[in-house]
Amino acid sequence: MTLHKLTDILESHGCDSSRWPEGDRQPCLNLIATDSQASALYDQYAALEKQLDHLQAPDFSGLEQRVLQQELPERTLKLSDRLVNWLLPSAGNNNYWRPALAACLPLVMGIMVGNYSSFGSTVSDDGFQYWEDELLMLSFNEYTETDPRP
Amino acid sequence: MTDEELMLAVCEGDQSAYQTLVRQHLKPISHYAYRILGNQRDTEDISQEVFLRMWTNAAKWRPEKAKLSTWLHRITYNLCVDHLRKHGNTQLKEDLDDAGASEPQADSQSHGIDEQQQSKALDRAIANLPESQRSALMLCHYGGFSNKEAADIMNISVKALESNISRARRSLRTQLAEIGKLRGEAGYSA
Repeated sequence: MTLHKLTDILESHGCDSSRWPEGDRQPCLNLIATDSQASALYDQYAALEKQLDHLQAPDFSGLEQRVLQQELPERTLKLSDRLVNWLLPSAGNNNYWRPALAACLPLVMGIMVGNYSSFGSTVSDDGFQYWEDELLMLSFNEYTETDPRP
Repeated sequence: MTDEELMLAVCEGDQSAYQTLVRQHLKPISHYAYRILGNQRDTEDISQEVFLRMWTNAAKWRPEKAKLSTWLHRITYNLCVDHLRKHGNTQLKEDLDDAGASEPQADSQSHGIDEQQQSKALDRAIANLPESQRSALMLCHYGGFSNKEAADIMNISVKALESNISRARRSLRTQLAEIGKLRGEAGYSA
């Protein structure tokens, strides 16, 4: 640890050692404890922070009432925004079922559409005709029963 | 109630949640704005606007991305920067000049620079810093934000933030050292 590096750390992180980079903390503290120049530098920055702590801002006594009493606009969210807010809530752990429901909706819709709609296809489920065709086809086959006995 | 729960209520139009959030966050926000703007009137206008925006844009806040205080400070910083771009630092310097003009001259000659004058000198030194340095110092010193959080608020890299805050501290230390010399204090040497 050098005085230059300590200066960099004090300037960019301040005098509170808990804010210093972890790897540099102990070497910095050692340098401050052993080197008089480093110790003087630390004291100067500590004095600056103390001065900053003593700076006061105005009271702003009426400001709270002014902010509390300001007229807030009506919430006129668009339908799409409301839907998005409902589906993707920004906070709260109890509302995860909403995006899950949204993700399942296309699947449910697909099943419903598949079940109840034929999309113009008219397949007649006529078992009799089917078996007629089957028998017809079978009649073309050659069924030659050969006697295995000599 | 946590900030998240309160903001959720604000999203649904709950004005009492809004009032709770104002009471919790107004002081740090107004002090931060004051340190950037340097005058009370503009600070009050900006603070009011910050909470109006919190009300109207509540649904845009994402708690997983930033704490509410970080988000509010970011709104404040953006509004202050816009304000300074439009109106400049003139008001701030006018206010400080007014304060300086009312200081009794004889007092400083007979009793040296007292504590109050030292505070005013520091106030003036802070006001003379560039806005980015001033903001970086205020966020880290008064706001208690980490360098990373302060960089997020100012929308700059951590390296740029550290450069800003280093320059600010160096400049103030040098100026305080000058004041220290005037007071004959041994602790300061630039």
